[in-house]
Amino acid sequence: MTIKVIALNTFKEAVRDRILYLLLFFAALSILVSRILALLTVGDRAKIIKDVGLASISFFGALMAILIGTGLVYKEIEKRTIFTLISKPMRRHEFLLGKFFGLVLTLLVMLALMSVIFLALVFFHTFSVEWKMLLAILYIFIELILITAVAILFSSFSTPILSSLFSLCFYLIGHFSWSLETLIKKIPAGILKVMAQIVYTILPDLENFNFKAEVVHGLTIPPQVLLYSAAYGFLYTVFILSLAILVFRRRDFI
Amino acid sequence: MRKNVSLILILCLSCLLFMGLKLEIDKVSRQKIPGSSIIYIPSGKYLKMVTFGFSSLMADLVYIWAIQYFGNTTIPDKFDHFVHIFSIISELDPRYVDPYEVGALIALYDIKDVALSIKLLDMGFAKNPDLWIFPLEAGHYAQLYKKDFPLAREYYKKAMDIPGAPDITKRLYANAAFKVMDIKTAWETWLEVYETAKEERVKKIASNHLYNIKATVDIRGLRSVLEKYKAKYGRYPDKLSGIVAAGLLLFIPKDYDNKDYVYDPKTGDVKTAVIPWKR
Repeated sequence: MTIKVIALNTFKEAVRDRILYLLLFFAALSILVSRILALLTVGDRAKIIKDVGLASISFFGALMAILIGTGLVYKEIEKRTIFTLISKPMRRHEFLLGKFFGLVLTLLVMLALMSVIFLALVFFHTFSVEWKMLLAILYIFIELILITAVAILFSSFSTPILSSLFSLCFYLIGHFSWSLETLIKKIPAGILKVMAQIVYTILPDLENFNFKAEVVHGLTIPPQVLLYSAAYGFLYTVFILSLAILVFRRRDFI
Repeated sequence: MRKNVSLILILCLSCLLFMGLKLEIDKVSRQKIPGSSIIYIPSGKYLKMVTFGFSSLMADLVYIWAIQYFGNTTIPDKFDHFVHIFSIISELDPRYVDPYEVGALIALYDIKDVALSIKLLDMGFAKNPDLWIFPLEAGHYAQLYKKDFPLAREYYKKAMDIPGAPDITKRLYANAAFKVMDIKTAWETWLEVYETAKEERVKKIASNHLYNIKATVDIRGLRSVLEKYKAKYGRYPDKLSGIVAAGLLLFIPKDYDNKDYVYDPKTGDVKTAVIPWKR
């Protein structure tokens, strides 16, 4: 119940943030610019629109999660409203989870708005509603949930600027970590290979949520990949949130 | 304290589970269209616009990707967009020499298309007209793999005219000129190489070529006169001096070392006394 109240308040607070609308504006602009890019290509124009549109949703969604998420907890501490909150009969993890769910709700609404613009643009090109795009968007949302958890984790012990930087690094590492596999293949068997393998499995692999190419090209996605990826997103989020709660519990505000 | 213990347990459990899941996901192969993201980009010019000043870095990344992509033996149609991919790199970083050279090698050895290989080197030369390496390599490929000496000669000439080109370029040009029987150019160029060479080894090479050119011209002339002699007298002369006595030639030429050519009166064959390269 407490989590729900904090989540709704966080949502109200987030939708009042001007930066959210600025990002939404640029996201919409980027989706619409795909139309111009499509004019420059030779061949399948709808493909360019889908690619740029999905990339914009993913990129600006991540920016929203990072820029808003990193300020959420810090603002409460800086403005000292945290004293009022923690003096209430409320546990610290409820506060943190409330903040998390509030931002997830905000992102859901933003993602829905961007998806409507995107699907409308695709519709004007293909004259059909491409529902399969929603699968890629759903996994973008799972990725955003994880990024939100990461932003909250950093926000619980660091300043917004540093937290944004760390979260951005997490995002970049998450999208490049798959390339470690190639490196591991080239390392001769031994302790170094084992260590590299452990690092590879611990590092986030955000490519597990990337079904954009498959959806755009109409490729078959194995159901177990969809299932495992969703479970991976859920478990990684649980891991990050547990870490955030652990850090937040140990934090002294005075 | 108990709360923290349970939280740490959740932390460890979720960590182990997502690590296991990651390994499981890796086991399932997903359908992929290699290179699809690049193929649809119309040109490197437009890609350059969105690199925000990091076009050189983007060129590096596309190049690294291309190397992995073309090295993948499981993609049967990987060469379909070969030129397109290398033109993207060329647009992003026109001064990046390696992609043109490596691309040319891939075209030569993997695609077995000499023309395509030369096309890539041409692309590099068009973007870098001050770099002699592109026409030199193109000439080398044209000579070795196409046996197209007129084309090789053109490329060597281009390379030779660029300041800083290595000395060997002039020698390759002179050799190609001889192969297309442009005797005058070949002689003049080899003579220039001989006169300007600082190393004895190079002087010797030039001298051997000059010997060979002179011998080729002389022997060709002697053979022609010998055929005229045979047409008139029904046989070849007993000695080469016979053609001078018959008034068909003013004098018998000597080789570059001022020695006589070897003549066989039975066949009318004229040869040099030594092999030009073993003088």
